Formats: sequence, C-alpha cells, structure tokens
Amino acid sequence: MTQISFKHISKVYDDHNGTVKEALRDINLSATENVTTAVVGKSGSGKSTLLQLINGLERPSRGTIYVFGQQIDYEQLPNLRRRIGYAVQGTGLFPHLSVGENITLLAVLDGWDKERIKGRVEMLMNLVGLPLEYARRYPHQLSGGEQQRVGLCRAMMLNPRIFLLDEPFGALDPITRSEIHEHFIHLQQSEARTIILVTHDLQEALKLAKEMIILNDGKVEQTGTCTEILRKPATDFVKSFLRSQLGNRPRRKR
Amino acid sequence: MTKFTTRSLCTFLLLVWTSGVADPGTVFAPDSAGGAAGKSRTIIVGCKHFTEGYILGEIIAQILEDRGYHVERKFGLGGTLICFDALRNGDIDIYPEYSGTITQAILKLDDTTSYPTVQQMLIRDFGLELLGPFGFNNTYAIAVTPSLAERLQLNTVSDLARFPKLRLGFSYEFLNRHDGWPGLARTYRLPGRPVGIEHGLAYQALRENDLDVTDVYTTDGDIDKYGLVLLKDDKEYFPRYLGAPLLRRGLSEGVKRVLGELAGKISEKEMQSLNASVLIENKTFREVAQEFLRAKDLLLSVRTSSEESKWTTMLHRTATHIKLTVTALIAAMAIAIPLGVLVYRLRTIAKPVIYFTGLLQTIPSIALLAFMIPLLGIGVTPAIVALFLYALLPILRNTSSALFSIDPILKKISVGMGLTTWQQLRHIEIPLAAPTILAGIKTAAVINVGTATLAAFIGAGGLGEPIVTGLALNDTSLILEGAVPAALLAIVTEFIFESIEKFLIPKHLLQQRVS
Repeated sequence: MTQISFKHISKVYDDHNGTVKEALRDINLSATENVTTAVVGKSGSGKSTLLQLINGLERPSRGTIYVFGQQIDYEQLPNLRRRIGYAVQGTGLFPHLSVGENITLLAVLDGWDKERIKGRVEMLMNLVGLPLEYARRYPHQLSGGEQQRVGLCRAMMLNPRIFLLDEPFGALDPITRSEIHEHFIHLQQSEARTIILVTHDLQEALKLAKEMIILNDGKVEQTGTCTEILRKPATDFVKSFLRSQLGNRPRRKR
Repeated sequence: MTKFTTRSLCTFLLLVWTSGVADPGTVFAPDSAGGAAGKSRTIIVGCKHFTEGYILGEIIAQILEDRGYHVERKFGLGGTLICFDALRNGDIDIYPEYSGTITQAILKLDDTTSYPTVQQMLIRDFGLELLGPFGFNNTYAIAVTPSLAERLQLNTVSDLARFPKLRLGFSYEFLNRHDGWPGLARTYRLPGRPVGIEHGLAYQALRENDLDVTDVYTTDGDIDKYGLVLLKDDKEYFPRYLGAPLLRRGLSEGVKRVLGELAGKISEKEMQSLNASVLIENKTFREVAQEFLRAKDLLLSVRTSSEESKWTTMLHRTATHIKLTVTALIAAMAIAIPLGVLVYRLRTIAKPVIYFTGLLQTIPSIALLAFMIPLLGIGVTPAIVALFLYALLPILRNTSSALFSIDPILKKISVGMGLTTWQQLRHIEIPLAAPTILAGIKTAAVINVGTATLAAFIGAGGLGEPIVTGLALNDTSLILEGAVPAALLAIVTEFIFESIEKFLIPKHLLQQRVS
C-alpha cells in the first residue's frame, strides 16, 4: 500500500520582502499505485514543491497529505524518507564516498549484513548496466550518465515502494538521456513501484510515465493517463501546452 | 585503512604529549634530598627577565639548594608587576627586588621613605617580607657613548637640556614609572620625545649610532663592555635601589636565616663584575652564581650542582613547548569544532560567536598572557589557556564556513534520503568539511608554536626561555637556541598535518580545495 493523496493542499511562501507567494492552491489528487506518474508544467508552476511535500522536505500551509495511506508524521521524517527513494537534478552523489559507498550508505546505516548488501548492489548495478568494478571508483571518475545511474541505484538500494524524481535527467545530453531512459524503464519493469517524476519535458513524460498531472501556476489543470490527456485536453492551457511542446518543435522553448 | 591510521596517529600524539608531561621544574632541580624536617616543600624562586635578576635568582636558588632545600626556578618573568602578583598569589615564594622599585611602583610613595619603613609597609599591606639588602645600589643612570659625551661636552644630566635634538630611547619600564622618564624630564626640564626600546637592545642601538641616550642600571655589565659614559645625576633625582630578597609570608625561619647570610655580601663593583662575567665572558648564570657563592665561602657542601648538557636542555624545552602547544590545540579542537557545528545549525548565533573569537585574536599575545596572571597565576596553566584562546578562531571559522559552503544539493539529498541529523553530520557534512577544518587546525597549530615562545614571560618554560633570556642579555646565539628549534617545530607541524591530510582525505577532495 503506497497510497499517496493530497487533500486541499496549499503552500504559501513568505518572501523576505514581505510579499507572499502562493506556490500551490487547493490541490486534491491521488497517485495510482505501482505506475509512473509524471508531474509536468512550466518552471515556477509548483512541480518541485508538490514533490517535496511527499517526503516532508516541504510542509503544506493548509491541508493534509497521506503517504502509505497515513497522514505524514513530521516527528518521524527520517523513517518515512527511508521508505521513499529520492533523486534530483545533477547527480547529488557524495564526492567523498566511493560509488559503492554511495549506493550502500543507507543499507549500512540500517544494519544490513554484508552478504545482503553485496547481493543487492550487484543486482542493481547489473540492472542499470554498470560494471561492478566501478564500485571502488569515486563519482568524479565516472561520466555524467554513469553517475546518474549510480544515483538511481542509490535511491533503489532499500527497495522503496515509492520513488520521487525531481528533473533527474535534466542536465544530460540527448543521447545519454535516452540511454538512461531505457535503464529506467528496465528498472521499473523488474521492480514495479509508485514513481512520481517531475519534468518540464513532455516527451520524457510520455516516454516514461503512464499517467500525468499537469500543473499551471500552482493549480492542477488536468490529471489522467497520458493517452487520455493527449486525446482530450481539458483546458485551453493544456491544449496550448501540448501544442507548444509537441506541435511546433523548432520553436519549443527549453 | 583510515581507521588504523587514525588510531596510530592518536597514539603518536599521546606519546608526544606524555613525553612532555614531565614537570619542567624538575628539569632544573638537582637531586638534593636534604631530608631535614620542613625542607621537603619545594621553594619556588622567581626573577624578572634581565641579567641581574637571573644572577640574583640563581644565587638565591643555589644557596637554598646547598642547605638542602628543594628549589624550583621560575625565571625570566615579564616585569615587576608580574613578579609581584605571582608572589602575592603564592605562585612563587621568593624573588629579588629593589627598594626603589617597591616604594615607587608598588607602594606609590616618594623616594625618601626609609628602608625599615618600606619593610613594615610591605608586611602590613601585602604580608610580604623584604629581607636585608644585598649591599649594592642599582639605581637608574643616563648613559651616552664616549664620543658623543666628548663632542657635546656632556657631564651631567642637566647638560642634556641644551640638546633638544638628541635621540632618546628608554626601556618601557623606565618610560612609564614615576621615578623614570616623566619625573626626570620635569626635574631637569628635558625636551625631546623618547621612544620605547627593549632594554637589552638599547646598547646595541647606541653602538650602531641609532640612538644617542638611554637609561641603564648602575650595576649593568654592559656599561664596561660598551665603555659607556654615565651622566652625573646632579639634582639627585634617582632614588636608591637596594637589591634584596622579597619573600612571601609563611616561609620558614630556616629559609630566612639562609638568605640572611647574603645580606651585605654584594657591592656595586661586585655586581657589575657578576653581570659582566655573564655578558662578556659568556658564562652561564649558574656558573657565575656558583663561583660567587664559593668565593664568599657561602657553600657548605662540596657537591657541584649538576649541569645539564645543552642538548638535553634543548630537548626538555622542546618537549615542554610541544606539551603547551598540543594540549592547547586539543582543547581548542574539542571546543571549536562542536561550536562550529552549533554555529552552522543555529545561524542566529553565528555572527556573535565568530566576532567574539575574532576579538580574542586581536589581543596582543603578551597582553593576553598578562591578563591571565590575576586569574590563573603564572606557569603552564595560564599559558595553555592563552594558547587555547588563540587557537579557537581559526578552527571555529574554518569549521563553520566549510559546513556553510557544502553544496546545497548534497544537503538536500542527505535530508531527503532519510538520514537523521546526526547521520547527516557524521557521514556527509563533517567528512565534506574535513579538508577545510584540518586546514584550520593546521593554522592554529602553527600560530601556537610561534606564540608559545612568549609563554616564557610568565614562567611556562619552553623554547621561549632562551629567547627571553637572550633578549635580556642581548645574546643573539642564545636567542637562536630558542628561535631555530621553534622554527623547525613549525615546519615539522606543517609536515605532520600534510601527512594526516594524505591519510584521512581522498586526494581529489584536496585538489578541489587547492584549486
């Protein structure tokens, strides 16, 4: 049971100048279990905020969030977060730890025995196509795409039922990105889990996700499966968003 | 691998530390088990840091040792008030002082007060006992070079008033005393603006013609050495400075009786020659004091005091120096690193804490050492506290700024992946900050090795001891005896820290920091 749902969620930021910015307004939604849901929208639409509400990096100003079917207990965040994988743009690998240490950090802290750790690391590295001897190297000795795959392995180490990705492939070149996409799909096929993927790239969303949440200016414009949304855009915004990202490709803004 | 090297490093540091722990006092105390009742307690003899002070201190120490007392020497203390406070606090038991200094600088009386009156007032106001004088009057005199005296026809202090352009350089103590420059200038209506100069350096400055006039003591051995002309005090301005042992109350009658034997034994001429044998013949204080006591038939036992070899002494000094530095450094690390973490976690206290430790850093080292005396007395403890305070800022600032500058994405990830606050600190933040923290510790260590040389001014020993003595004697080779090992120690410190870095920190993180 990974059930994630938002009930009347609003998030207000207090600017230092005294102005108040409303990042999310009265959001109600729930994510389907064991599929990938992409959260898409322009930058500043509140995508990252929505994602960070799920693992408690942000707290809602109003409303209630349920994760694993329960209201978030803000006193017990580390416990909750260990059950949720998390990856962000850039690799976020710790430079002072070797690749192996990066991947196994959480398992070591959780007191896994050596055999179990070894088995899990080998399985994950094979799954994303990383040679096992890379475990002894440091992150800076790997290419960007390889580092990204290490990041996926690290997030998957404890086999979390929920996986949050915040524009994880944004900084990669197109060829590397499409390679990573293959590994990602492969990973999801072998260990299905509930994945929330934040991206500004509609192509990526369509390729990796089964369902979509389209955000605009802090509000949900439309939710549903990708095919539904493509066939029946609910609002004018969704229509023009789809057209701008898919229709006239040369004029697409990055 | 890293765990092993950390442990062996700790063992190494511990060894260095404990090897220095041997009380520096015992280094100089010959094994004189008198055994007589009441003699088991150690008598601590102090002195100010100038030649005559050392000689008189050594004479006092040796005659007591000869009679079976166990003596600890705390020589070369910073000045009159440091010695006097140390005596009142009971940090030292005896030091040689001068009647004029007591009336002027301590009792603040005029200089006509009689010797017995001074003795009574010391007992009444401070509980201190001034024994009978050694015999000589070591007063201030104004000195010029013979060539200048001849050229300008200078004979008396009054003559100086005719030459307002003369370059005057006086010791700091003389400049600031009631019976020093201010009164002298008033009495003789002297023009001119004197500069302050360390007494030991003034003679050299006169010889090199960087200075025309300075203050000397009438028993200075340098007067003969440099052939200086003393100007006659024609208005009888300078008071009498009769040298005598000044004692803490409560010392046994036996001690007083032994020191009483010294009364009237040293004339001005004799004191000058004792000073000269140190300055010109390069004898040690110990030798000079022993020859004097022997010549006056004041030594009862035939045992000669055991003289240490130069190398052993240097080794002991270095050990003391390392002990001072390492103890202060470890204490500073224990406080400054957690404080740096606290500053990072509670940003509101960041500025006040860093400003405060920065303020500590701006206090001149010698002043900080002087502040320590009323609180902690003299010796090793106040020196370690002062060094500890100096080491705080570099470690604290590097710790907190290294933590503040960690890549925010890495922080976000370490929180988001579910590490507890302690785990974030232990596994991510501290290791990432380690290169910079280590650099801060290295800076603190090198600063401490240098600053610790000043600790000799408050009787803490170490490599500063020969430097302080050398300054008093204007003896360059003696200064180098402390300065060279101190410099080597600083280099070794750098080297040790570089090795620690290599063991503890992955190479690519170091390169990142340097670039």
